[in-house]
Amino acid sequence: MIAPRWRKVFRDIGDTPLRTALAVMAMAAGAFGVTMILTSYSILKRELKTTYSDTRPASAILVLDGQGVSDALVDAVRHMPGVRDAEARPVIGGRLFIGKDQWVPLILYVVRDFRDIRLDRFTPDAGAWPPGDGEVLIERSSLSVARAAIGDRVIVRTSDHVERPLRIAGTVHAAGLAPGWMEHAVAGFVSANHLPLSASSADQIRLMVTGDTLDERHIRDVANRVARSIGNVTRIDVPTPGRHPHAAQMDTFLYLLGAFGALTFALSAVLVATMIHALLTEQLRQVAVMKTLGASTMKIASLYLGQVAILAAAAIAIGVPLGIAAGQAYARFAASMLNATITDAMPALWIVVAEVVAGIAIPLLVALGPVSHASRISIHEAFSNDVGGKPFGTRRFDRWLARIQWLPRPLMLSLRTTFHRRGRLLLTVATLAAGGAAFIAAMNVSAAWTRTLDADGRARRFDVQAVFSRPYPAAQVMQALASVPDVAHAECWTEAGAMLGEANVSLNVSLIGPDVDSKLLALPLIAGRWLRPGDDAVAVINQSVLSLDPTLRLGGDIPIHVNAHVARLRIVGIVKELAPHATVYMPPRTILRVTGKPPGLAHSVRIVTRQLDVAGQVAASKAIEQVLESAGISVAGIQALSDSRQSFSDHLVIIKSALIFAALLVVLVGGLGLTSTLTLNVFERTREIGILSAIGATPRTIARDVVFEGMVMAVLSWCAALLASIPITFPLDAATGQMFIRSALDFYMSPAAAAVWLLLVLILAALSSFYPARRSARLAVREAIAYE
Amino acid sequence: MLHSSSIQKQRRTLRGMIHVQGLSKTYETPAGAFPALRNVDLEIAPGEFVAIVGKSGSGKSTLLNMVGGIDRPSSGSLRVGGRSIQGLTHSELASWRGRTVGFVFQFFQLLPTLTVAENVMLPMDFCGTRPGSQRRRHALTLLDRVGVADQADKLPSALSGGQQQRVAIARALANDPPVILADEPTGNLDSETSIAIFQLFGELSGEGKTLLVVTHDREAAASVSRTVTIVDGCVA
Repeated sequence: MIAPRWRKVFRDIGDTPLRTALAVMAMAAGAFGVTMILTSYSILKRELKTTYSDTRPASAILVLDGQGVSDALVDAVRHMPGVRDAEARPVIGGRLFIGKDQWVPLILYVVRDFRDIRLDRFTPDAGAWPPGDGEVLIERSSLSVARAAIGDRVIVRTSDHVERPLRIAGTVHAAGLAPGWMEHAVAGFVSANHLPLSASSADQIRLMVTGDTLDERHIRDVANRVARSIGNVTRIDVPTPGRHPHAAQMDTFLYLLGAFGALTFALSAVLVATMIHALLTEQLRQVAVMKTLGASTMKIASLYLGQVAILAAAAIAIGVPLGIAAGQAYARFAASMLNATITDAMPALWIVVAEVVAGIAIPLLVALGPVSHASRISIHEAFSNDVGGKPFGTRRFDRWLARIQWLPRPLMLSLRTTFHRRGRLLLTVATLAAGGAAFIAAMNVSAAWTRTLDADGRARRFDVQAVFSRPYPAAQVMQALASVPDVAHAECWTEAGAMLGEANVSLNVSLIGPDVDSKLLALPLIAGRWLRPGDDAVAVINQSVLSLDPTLRLGGDIPIHVNAHVARLRIVGIVKELAPHATVYMPPRTILRVTGKPPGLAHSVRIVTRQLDVAGQVAASKAIEQVLESAGISVAGIQALSDSRQSFSDHLVIIKSALIFAALLVVLVGGLGLTSTLTLNVFERTREIGILSAIGATPRTIARDVVFEGMVMAVLSWCAALLASIPITFPLDAATGQMFIRSALDFYMSPAAAAVWLLLVLILAALSSFYPARRSARLAVREAIAYE
Repeated sequence: MLHSSSIQKQRRTLRGMIHVQGLSKTYETPAGAFPALRNVDLEIAPGEFVAIVGKSGSGKSTLLNMVGGIDRPSSGSLRVGGRSIQGLTHSELASWRGRTVGFVFQFFQLLPTLTVAENVMLPMDFCGTRPGSQRRRHALTLLDRVGVADQADKLPSALSGGQQQRVAIARALANDPPVILADEPTGNLDSETSIAIFQLFGELSGEGKTLLVVTHDREAAASVSRTVTIVDGCVA
């Protein structure tokens, strides 16, 4: 037989279905949010790691300057000390025709034996395997970029300007490659037996080291040793060990998930505290009665903690399974963005266990304070309804409020009531503010990314950039372009690839030499100055170079390793740009000198067109290419800037999706919290509303005043949310920026985010106060006054 | 049911069931210190039925609250059932209250989500006074004693005010306490019901319970054995 006191607990839960539902829903929303984030976090963390390591990523890639790599050489490398495995896989750069004079960048990986892929593995996805003569397998994430389907015939132009038709025999999944749709490039795999290697291919030997495959220094040692023994190695690439090319995005993404998981968690804890506070305030009189009947503080506390535990268990039963399902769906979506496949969508067991334990323990923990306060309260206090401390007027703020006489009396009453119940006000405002702050912070970070993208766009004032296959005299280029009516302004730039540091270090950097009087590049400076005409042997580095070698200082030297020579340049400036790629800006003549080229040559051209829209610029770029080609200038790649900006923007999709997802989740949890908190507030005031009715307030007046109170709380919470969003936005800007572009984003408070939240909070506040207020106002006065 | 042997025992061992000496209570309010009780002396013997009367705000309820351990005195001594309750902790006080004092309130204060019988069982539940299996039977006996046994399984909201107050009295008797304290028990009832309630109190007194009742109801108060009048916090 259940003791009457426990029956009271069950009946209290059952007799107030709306309140119970609100409390359970608020807790369930918290549990849902946290579970969803933890689930997708745990699945992604595990699956992305294994997906990448399953491809057996190469530890190092040796780029050879030679005429092909023999099988014997590869075999010899395999047997060198420190090498676990090796494979030759030349890479051919080129472009793929997608119709209407349009080409997209293409990278063709030449595979010697599709039955013996040892490193950087890829797996059949659809269609044929291996590709036959004149056939290509396309990486599945870039099929849409190629605008083709399996079985289609596509035209491929390699960088030696040879055009070949290739049939798409099938698709593969190369989990180690960045998704093609994000890169705006097509990745393809062809068989070495069927595609004659040309000069355009870069011969590569990929190798995997023995021992610690995550130790970069060890990998470099082995790679350098191998390079010395086989000779004619022009470059050694060491991809960051154990890191997918999009690891930075994944990190940012997972960081955001984690950060908002914590915020949602905090939010749901505050929400639970509010719920319990509301519940106990209602029950104070009953607490007093039970005390007069001999109930000890412990017994009363155990009753209410029991009630909280029951509600929490119900919330878990709803929130956790839904959260797991949603988390799985979101993990699949996120994985597709990173070209990964989820093979096991089960969340880690610890997530489920932790969620269930935390789902019960957290509400109990936050309930401990209010429950202990309520169960210790003296009977006298509880009966005299004098809870919440001092009477109105004893505090200075009350007296100040009481001096506000110009408002209509009922509104004045609302305002004073709002501020009188300070504990309730504080909890309500805190709940709403926590949600608001998280929402605004998410939108702030999203806006900061957009602004960074826009600022970078403004810093690059050209519409089209064309890179040549080899350097040409700048005069020849300019002369050719003079005949294109669409070209308003053109600048020839010098470019080169190099390595940072001394001979045995291989950190790739790009050298870019803008025109000495360049009007087309105005990158924001973090320190120092930009290049000036007359400069020589100086460099301006971007923040990515700095992160490669943090010892570099303004005024200090930067060692650049080109063609087996080391040049030392003085760093005169550090710029911030929206690119994770390390770039050193130098005077063109310095680049030509260190690369051993005669003066007057250009590697690329930046053009301002007379076209304002994207389509016009794309059309102009085609005309420009034709003119350059007919002038004998071989173009390796030409791109309208709007297109590359789109590509970068696509790289941000995953970060923005995480932010939007977080914001929506917060709106859901925060909105539910807001609704339930305000609704409970009005319930709490039923008796007071009865008194108002008794002295002549119409239901309309009452509803209006209660809604006004809700609005006051909403506006207060909004102010608090704005303030609280600042300390949340800062670390998010810093962390996501650092992970992705190696520099903190500029702090930005999004007015749109603030406005949207204000609107949302006002609407929700109005709705969630209006209905309970109307209900209370319609109660008969006697019922309302006797309301327990 | 009340056992006469235990009452005899109580009468033998206790000189006064309620012993109040030099009791004062001062409330600190925003308007300054307010003395609710001043130097009150009062001795109530076992089985006495005492009405405390006085104007509103005279300190009647404060005195009752002190005796019931709901509020603590500022100074003076207070013994109930032979025990000084001033030094008790909250928890000890709760347990003492449950066994020694039964409360009856003006607004009945039945727990709205428990049935009538469950309300009566609740004090036994809190104080563990009877084996669980006997509690309902005892509750029904008490409800029968106050004349509302037929309402046992209803919720309080289904009962009239007089019925609710009878249930409240049954609940006050649940742990067989020697003292019953009632604060304006008829303040919310019609005169006929009020008289019936006071009759019930009279019967309880006859059975050996000590009753201390704060009331405004002069007619009903006629049935008491003694009337104590409080004026401005002092016994007149």
